[in-house]
Amino acid sequence: MNEEPRIGVYICHCGVNIAGSVNIKEVVEYVKNLPHVVEVRDYIFMCSAPGQEIIKEGVKKYNLNRIVVAACSPTMHEHTFRNVLIEAGLNPYLLEIANIREHCSWVHSESREAATWKAYTLIRVAVAKASLLEPLKDITFKVNKNVLIVGGGVAGLSAARELALKGFKVYLIERRPVLGGNTARLGRIAHTELKGKDVVGELLKQVVDNPNINIYVNTEIIDVSGSVGNFKIRVVRQPRHVNEKCNLCGECVRVCPVEVSNEYEFGLTKRKAIYLPYLGAYPPLYVIDHENCTRCLECVKVCPRNAVNLAEKPEEIELNVGAVILAAGHEPYEPLIGEFGYGVSSRVLTLFQLERMLDEESPTKGELKINGIQPKSIVFIMCVGSLNITPNAYPYCSRMCCSSTIKNALVIKERYPETNIYILHKDIRTYSRGDEQLYLRAGERLIRFARYREAPNVLVNPDGSIDVRFFEETIQEEVSISADLVVLSVGMKPPKDIDRIRTIVKVGCGPEGFLREAHLKLRPVEAATDGVYLAGTVTGPKNIVEAIDSGSAAASKALTLLVKEEAIVEPLVAVVDDERCSACSICVGICPYNAIRIKTYEDRRIAEVDPAVCKGCGACVASCPTGVMQQFGFKDAQLKSQVLAALYK
Amino acid sequence: MSQDLEPRIVVFACNWCSYAALDLAGVSRMKYPPNFLVIKVMCSGRVDPQFILEAFRRGADGVLVAGCHPGDCHYIEGNIKALRRMTLLRRVLEGFGIEKERFRLEWISASEAEKFVRVANEMYQEIKSLGPLKLQETV
Repeated sequence: MNEEPRIGVYICHCGVNIAGSVNIKEVVEYVKNLPHVVEVRDYIFMCSAPGQEIIKEGVKKYNLNRIVVAACSPTMHEHTFRNVLIEAGLNPYLLEIANIREHCSWVHSESREAATWKAYTLIRVAVAKASLLEPLKDITFKVNKNVLIVGGGVAGLSAARELALKGFKVYLIERRPVLGGNTARLGRIAHTELKGKDVVGELLKQVVDNPNINIYVNTEIIDVSGSVGNFKIRVVRQPRHVNEKCNLCGECVRVCPVEVSNEYEFGLTKRKAIYLPYLGAYPPLYVIDHENCTRCLECVKVCPRNAVNLAEKPEEIELNVGAVILAAGHEPYEPLIGEFGYGVSSRVLTLFQLERMLDEESPTKGELKINGIQPKSIVFIMCVGSLNITPNAYPYCSRMCCSSTIKNALVIKERYPETNIYILHKDIRTYSRGDEQLYLRAGERLIRFARYREAPNVLVNPDGSIDVRFFEETIQEEVSISADLVVLSVGMKPPKDIDRIRTIVKVGCGPEGFLREAHLKLRPVEAATDGVYLAGTVTGPKNIVEAIDSGSAAASKALTLLVKEEAIVEPLVAVVDDERCSACSICVGICPYNAIRIKTYEDRRIAEVDPAVCKGCGACVASCPTGVMQQFGFKDAQLKSQVLAALYK
Repeated sequence: MSQDLEPRIVVFACNWCSYAALDLAGVSRMKYPPNFLVIKVMCSGRVDPQFILEAFRRGADGVLVAGCHPGDCHYIEGNIKALRRMTLLRRVLEGFGIEKERFRLEWISASEAEKFVRVANEMYQEIKSLGPLKLQETV
């Protein structure tokens, strides 16, 4: 746009919000004399219909080609006024907002003189930038209708179900060889007759046979390029070494000489290097744990159906999707060796180990026996790994442990009514529907609750007996309980490869390592990166219901993007301004989104920005040594004009 | 006309955290000296050290660059890029005889209006007691 700038400045009173602290008349007089300013008007509410009309009339009457609105923060009404410009026949990016409410009248109401000075100074800065504004075109792009879901726990399954039911194609990848996540390892779920794996089973029924869902287990994401609407994803699938011919006869397991701790039983038992994670697992095939496999080939020899193939190699797969849902879940907090006697005494278990033991399909067939003896006195210690109770604990509450602890204590009391059960807690948070009744029932069944101030001491005596000592808050006394079994109610922590995933997908995390939502309250299932959604415990502790809910919510949010044929982004992207680029490539390395490539033309090489990938941070612009890299809406000349105008005296 | 206010302090605030913190200071009706003039950038990583040199050359008494906390950057780590540049810039400013109190890089999240007000008050006091910036002839 080479024509001379003709700027209209529209100053809002915002009722008394601005006019109460700022001398509008004085501001109008000042602004009239600024360069390129053709019209200045003030009005009680610029955002109202008559206010908008004033702007449109001004554009027509004075042939204005730039607009400055001095009003509230651009986060409030920039969008409104951009539409006014469109209606007035102007490009919407020829608008500049001077924030004279939040940044001026509201904070300087104690001095009318100071507020007035600041108001016209801010307008002077806005006018300076406005005179250098250029018309910009929104960037539109076609939206790919497929979705990648990372994580096959209940949140990922729930999201997959919703999207597939609406006819969208889903790629569901899972790092482990089996779907179901942490829920699959849980015992009976409170208030239901279902076990964790039954909940997973119900979801699986609606997922595995849906032709819209492609499941990849043993698969991890390794690279993402592109952006919202058009992601190119690379995943790598580790070999299972057992194919669909497997009919679960179990011969291979019998001959396998390798034994390792069984993570699906929380280390309570051993498994072989070829194994089925748990009964009812999906996919229903054995899998070889190639880290521990010794390649002895016994399983290959014994398999009657030739289903085992150790020659399989990792396979890289490329997927094109429009949206990504991260449902990578959590891990249970693993106490340190020696922490509360864990790993030192066989009489110290985590809550998950206890819950596995109480399951009828457990190695003890549901019998609670420690070293062959049924414990008479059981102490649960809650908040292990949570609420900062130990130096390496996390600061947050893990939400599910109170209810889960009480549920398991009630199961024990039901099966072994003679058992003395103590629950030592920092606080009881049975917030979910029905959980408070569980807590009350526990009291009725004479399960004893005690509140500790500092983390209890678990003393493992030389004869193997255990004393748990702590200071009880209610009775204000030191208490010692001798225990046959200590159960540590461990909380949740971020999954171990979350840093790798979030670096690839470009999502921020909070101080504890869980992924960050775009807004804690208003956008709980969206990442700040467009087209990336968050489901389940990957954003922090949740119970099963909450995880399934958030899976559905993330799917629904992704659908608002996927139903569109084309999506629009603001064109405030980087651009290589002219041909002086020397292809030094500094910008290529600086760009966090791989949006810049060095292109070779016949005789020279220059950097080029892919506007569909660029997010408009401007880091490349600030790093460009020759100044040929610029950002629309934030060009060097525009920002410098603001600096100058701010300092004009 | 109202009297020109001194000292004059230029603020580069990122769109996502610090600009929003200044908005919140307004919504919460907090008070801070009016000498701070905000220029919005999308990310603190957009702030070219040349802007800051230019500001001092043109008569700024202080410059504040405000971005999201490390780990919270909307663009992953634009703020870390700013940190690297500003660390180097500090040495350049020192070479020009510009007192270190005149330039600050601060992490101010969208909810930290109070932190902005604290930083603004501190900077105002420090710069006020230094007096107007007098650049050496060589600049």
